[in-house]
Amino acid sequence: MNRLEGLPTLRIDPARRIGFTYKGYTRHGVAGDSVATALYAEGVRIFSRSMKYRRPRGLFSLDGICANTFLTIGKMPNMAAETAALREAMTVEEQNVYFTARNDPLAFLDRFDRFMPAGFYYESMHKPAALWPAAAEVVRRAAGLGQIDSGFRFSGVCDEIYPATDVCVIGGGAAGMSAALAAAERGVRVILLEARHWLGGAFDYRSQPEEGDRPLYARSAALAEKIAANPLVRVYTGAPMVGGYADNLVTAVAEGKEDDPFDYRYMEIRAKSVVVATGTRERPLIFEDNDRPGVMLPDCALRLARTYGILPGREAVFSVGHDFGLEAAVALADLGLPVRAVADFRESGHDAGLVDRLAARNIRFLPGWAAYRASGVKSVTGVRLAACKSGESRSFACDLLVAAAGLSPVAEPLVLFCGSPEADGSTGFFLPKTYPPGVFAGGSILGFSDPRSRIDSGEKAGIRAAGFCGGDSSQEAPEKGGAGDLSPPPNAAPVWLGHPGRESKRFVCFDEDVTVKHIRQAISRGFNVPELIKRFSAAGTGPGQGGISGHNLPLLVHAIQSESAGCGPSDTAGNTGYRPTRVRPPVRPVLLAAYAGTGREMTKRTPAHDLQAEEGAVFRRAGVWQRARYFSQDLDVSEEVLAVRTNVGMLDASTLGCFRIFGPDALSALQRVYAGDMGRIREGRVKYAAMCNHDGCVIDDGVVIRTGENDYMFTTSTGRAGETIEWIRYHTRYENLAYHLVNLTDGTAVINLAGPRARDVLEKITDADVSGGALPFGGWMDFALTGGIPVRCMRLGFVGELSFELNIPASYMAHVWEMLRRAGREFGIRSIGVEAQNVLRLEKGHVILGQESEQRTNLIDLGLDFLWARDKTIRPVGSDALRQAENDPGRLKLSGIRMKDPAVVPPDGSVIIPADGPEKRIVGYVATIRKSLSPGLEGDVLGMALVEAPWAREGTTLAIYDGESPAGSDAAFSYAVIVRMPFYDPEGKRMRM
Amino acid sequence: MVSRQTILPDKNPPLQTVYDAVLIGGGLHNLATAWFLAREHGMKSVAVLERNFVGYGGAGRNTAIVRANQRTAENVPLYKEALELWPVMTRELDFNLMFYNCGNMNLLHSEAAVKAARTNVATARFLGVESRILDRKETADRLPALNMSDAITHPVHGAMFHPPGGIVRHDAVVWGLARGALRQGVHIHQRTEALGIETKNGKVTGVKTSAGTIRTPRVLVSAGGYTAGLVYRMTGLKLPVSVLTIQAMVTQPLKPVFRHVVSSGAYHVYANQTLKGEIATGAHMDPWPNTTTRTSAGYIKHQAEALVDLFPCLAGVKFMRSWAGLADMTPDMAPIMDGNLPADGFYINCGWGYFGFKSSTAAGRYMARYLAENRCPDRLAPFALNRFENHRLMGETAAPVLYTPDN
Amino acid sequence: MSLLIQCPLCGKRNGYEFRYGGEDKGAYPEGRELSAAKWYDYVHGSACTEGVVKEWWCHRLGCGTWFTIYRDTRVNRQVQEPQESARQGNGRTSGAGEIP
Repeated sequence: MNRLEGLPTLRIDPARRIGFTYKGYTRHGVAGDSVATALYAEGVRIFSRSMKYRRPRGLFSLDGICANTFLTIGKMPNMAAETAALREAMTVEEQNVYFTARNDPLAFLDRFDRFMPAGFYYESMHKPAALWPAAAEVVRRAAGLGQIDSGFRFSGVCDEIYPATDVCVIGGGAAGMSAALAAAERGVRVILLEARHWLGGAFDYRSQPEEGDRPLYARSAALAEKIAANPLVRVYTGAPMVGGYADNLVTAVAEGKEDDPFDYRYMEIRAKSVVVATGTRERPLIFEDNDRPGVMLPDCALRLARTYGILPGREAVFSVGHDFGLEAAVALADLGLPVRAVADFRESGHDAGLVDRLAARNIRFLPGWAAYRASGVKSVTGVRLAACKSGESRSFACDLLVAAAGLSPVAEPLVLFCGSPEADGSTGFFLPKTYPPGVFAGGSILGFSDPRSRIDSGEKAGIRAAGFCGGDSSQEAPEKGGAGDLSPPPNAAPVWLGHPGRESKRFVCFDEDVTVKHIRQAISRGFNVPELIKRFSAAGTGPGQGGISGHNLPLLVHAIQSESAGCGPSDTAGNTGYRPTRVRPPVRPVLLAAYAGTGREMTKRTPAHDLQAEEGAVFRRAGVWQRARYFSQDLDVSEEVLAVRTNVGMLDASTLGCFRIFGPDALSALQRVYAGDMGRIREGRVKYAAMCNHDGCVIDDGVVIRTGENDYMFTTSTGRAGETIEWIRYHTRYENLAYHLVNLTDGTAVINLAGPRARDVLEKITDADVSGGALPFGGWMDFALTGGIPVRCMRLGFVGELSFELNIPASYMAHVWEMLRRAGREFGIRSIGVEAQNVLRLEKGHVILGQESEQRTNLIDLGLDFLWARDKTIRPVGSDALRQAENDPGRLKLSGIRMKDPAVVPPDGSVIIPADGPEKRIVGYVATIRKSLSPGLEGDVLGMALVEAPWAREGTTLAIYDGESPAGSDAAFSYAVIVRMPFYDPEGKRMRM
Repeated sequence: MVSRQTILPDKNPPLQTVYDAVLIGGGLHNLATAWFLAREHGMKSVAVLERNFVGYGGAGRNTAIVRANQRTAENVPLYKEALELWPVMTRELDFNLMFYNCGNMNLLHSEAAVKAARTNVATARFLGVESRILDRKETADRLPALNMSDAITHPVHGAMFHPPGGIVRHDAVVWGLARGALRQGVHIHQRTEALGIETKNGKVTGVKTSAGTIRTPRVLVSAGGYTAGLVYRMTGLKLPVSVLTIQAMVTQPLKPVFRHVVSSGAYHVYANQTLKGEIATGAHMDPWPNTTTRTSAGYIKHQAEALVDLFPCLAGVKFMRSWAGLADMTPDMAPIMDGNLPADGFYINCGWGYFGFKSSTAAGRYMARYLAENRCPDRLAPFALNRFENHRLMGETAAPVLYTPDN
Repeated sequence: MSLLIQCPLCGKRNGYEFRYGGEDKGAYPEGRELSAAKWYDYVHGSACTEGVVKEWWCHRLGCGTWFTIYRDTRVNRQVQEPQESARQGNGRTSGAGEIP
């Protein structure tokens, strides 16, 4: 099709052709086209088929308020062609059609609509019972629109920014631009968001009414120039707002233009105040077959011509109820569209100038008339217009039926900030009545229609927003948000839905094929507010999210309810359900890729990470860290375990928390959070300690040493390091204690050197005396390694061998790691991972929190009551719960178990049932169990389990069930006996070497 | 006016001066309780009081996942019975509850997660519920769209597969139960608020409502996130409840992408594709108390990040809507079902967090039994309120919860 | 929700920089041995107020200070310390015009 030329409002460049494929065939559009306008220009009229009745659907609006133009573009389903910018080489396909949208073999379903009343699926397909599973599969396949391949990969670039601003203006039309300029003039920073790729809003494609000799589009262009020149206004076009949140947080997703470095950019804008100037959209008129291709909103028809240079039809009939509808008819007639008739359901109150212009162009004008029924099977071929009062009617042939019932505010962004809207008696709009602080609105959204007042209203909102942000020379500094003192003139037009008639073909929601009849059915079944009617009928639940049904639904519901209640349609008092259904973000659909943004993931690594990777470490996440869990690809840790038991091993324990606490009240703070008596820490000795929560559940364990007067160092588990400081401060928050806490975790590297040859290795890298006399088991010492590297060394017994826990500044870690490997080579030193440590400590019966402990187990249950100093002056957190629970005979107890058959290793987590006695219920579970590898344990399978006290006595036999086979047969169970711990070196000789 | 067509009462019946039982809260649990009171105990003089409209709260907001693979032997039987009731209730109510038995896949991302799943699986199978652990290959076979790479934030080690679970149409359950209760003669009073209870000598004697006072010997409060606050205002009894706002969202409708309900503890995400084709997903909770039902900007973003990591093809799909509801959480992630405290005839059913839908039918049946027989059914005994005071947390969660300061 | 919290040291910050520390119930009760009922009341019992609550918060991703604020749980916003009469948050959750 040849585009209209020479229009000053065109946003296309007809000289730049863009090639794309549609249904496999090459087509062309021009730069500036959306996919829908390009297809429309190429003659496409049927874009899709509706979900339920398979009705043909065409271009109805250009703002993505329904799924009519959903196509699959570049293998991405459900792309709204009317808002997707056309790009070179795009592949565009129909979706959810059998054969083509033009010729759909399922189109006959439209005739069986009476068998699909509202909610029919709730009362069908479930009898006989066997029918439903098969029916569900059919429903599954029939439902859904487009298809995404499981192998689809998004190849675009997504970005995210988090700007802050004083005023965020949503909507770049005349009112929004005026608001932005007014705010910027008062010295505050402004962000202006506009969904389309250019500023101008509703003025952009209109010439009339003119002020002086300036058509509307020139006025908005002038405003846009001022905006561009203002350094305090940042403009984002192609960036529709998608979410509005408390404290004026705004989210938007920008679509990249051709020269942008992103395809989509997520924007989270922290604004002090917000101005909503999103204008209006047209409210669909309801008549028979109002969903036919060829029916479109006046705004869509006019923009096709003035923005995209496409004459929308060959001959047109208009059925409107607002002045803009008349204006569109005049403007399109002037562009060469034959207009057979213009019906306007208003009897009077039309803009006289527009009526004159219709007469001057010999266009039949029918005040008090409206569309009754569209004719045509696949698209419009004509329309029957009828008089609202007399019932007189006339038919006209046409291929374009431009219809709307009036205007509705684009209120969704405002509602997100303000809450539920109410019916406004003056404008007939549903708008919020109260605004939270900092939220303002201006422009046609409030009901203003003439250009001057729209601009004034926007300006006023900008001034108030600036004042709220403390901008200078503000006329008022309002504490509340609001619509301002300007009130729009009352809308004299009746708020009307359309002629009554054949209800089963009068569509309220296109996406879900919901008709007036369905709404009536829902009401008859007791659903009496729009929210319930929406749910039952499905109106507004499709991709358009109420874009079509929006403000018509409450009007229709009220009209139907008024019939039986006998009151007029204007009587809305007391009906608190009389409003559109709830608005939720995103108010535009957003690609998951766009929300996911850059998708960068970060973990923390220790300074020896790369060295361990070179050694073949297999890493696992431990909280925010990567830790080496295994040092062999086959995940077998036998060699690592044996190395520690017979020679020496080295483990990176840097992720453990490390803290210093000092100050006059440091000890008091420690006494509050640790169950034991930290006042009894001896010089040069390490104290093993545990922290409990108020339930007595152990939330952390570690060691504490005293490094000086009122000066201590303590360790925590990896997972707790981030929480420890706030925990200690929390539990001392009511007292004015004087202490300081320093988190040394990231600055302190820790290497555990363990095994009978550990001292041999250490002696090679230090001159200090690290003999058993100088540094005994349970003691600590500061000294230096070769080269003067300071080390704090603790002798602990976690894995049950002679071990030295070396705490060094993190910057030396890689160097010390290599130093140890070199020094230890002659002794067969091996790096060991977390799993090897797991096995080694298991053999000693040592607890790892989160593995052998859980929410139900307290300090005593874990056998750690020796860590509790009952009579401390400062009562530690959890002591009351411990005391109250200590005589409870039915609690879970940590117990050692040994499998009767050493060939069987049940998986960790298997449940425990008593082997003997009448009670056959689950009484516990296996926490950790391994085949032992250590000398002296003869390959026994040893584990730790949590078992209810009556069955936790030494010698009790337990049945273990792993769930791999049904519990009925005996073969499903394996057997273990409760044994004393530690299993390995019970006297602890080896760690005391 | 209840006719054959009626599903919900469009007008309230006149408030009687006496009812055998008054159920405060018009959601799934009380509707189920009302149904069973009438059906199994012949108690039909029952009033359900709903402050807003039926289905306003969690009943209409949940993502309708059902399963019976909980962690403890106390919980599994309740959910197992609830799961088995879906086809039964479909038949009894003659309403298609649309139970889609697609099975649940709980992804496991570490050795520790596999161990934790083992306990669930063994517990479930011991109690006659089908559940098993899948390795990586089996997991990939069942979820072709799943990213099995090691390069994602939480690589997949396997999954806990629970064949008997799936999804149900939550609106269908609400309306089916409401219609069923109405047909039994139960009175549903919408837009009616319970303002207080009346007691005498330690026994409940009545309920004050916005429509008048009712005399009754039995009051059951089960109002989702509003329960604990209401119980406190009515009786002074404090419950160990944290009411959190929980969020969910859906994509636009698609042809089938995956069949199972998929969840991941490590990513804090679950997703299922409804029969309408939308992928429903959720469900973070800001870990501090709220009764707002507004969503937050951060979570829809985090959800997209998690889903795109796990199912890369979903990058090309769009979110259509998000919403939020209230989850009343307890310290041990298990509900509170108790009676005759603090006064005789006063019953409480709450603390269901985000798993109240799954159990609604069975919980309703047992609470009905409790009210009718005035004896705590064995199955409900472990859920007594005093377990907290007695330091006997339930064990449904291994780790301490994040929404109290106790962690 | 997009909670903003006023830290006494750092000013108004994004709520996700903070950690929630429970309702302010005063210091842990004194006394040698607490009864189970009193312990439950302090540790677990909650009035679940729908309205303005005094709470402890910690600026964990900032200065680390623990402080109290008043927050309206019906709308998840920090508010000024209320007058005594307004303290009982007995209100409904949503109504026309209120953000639910």
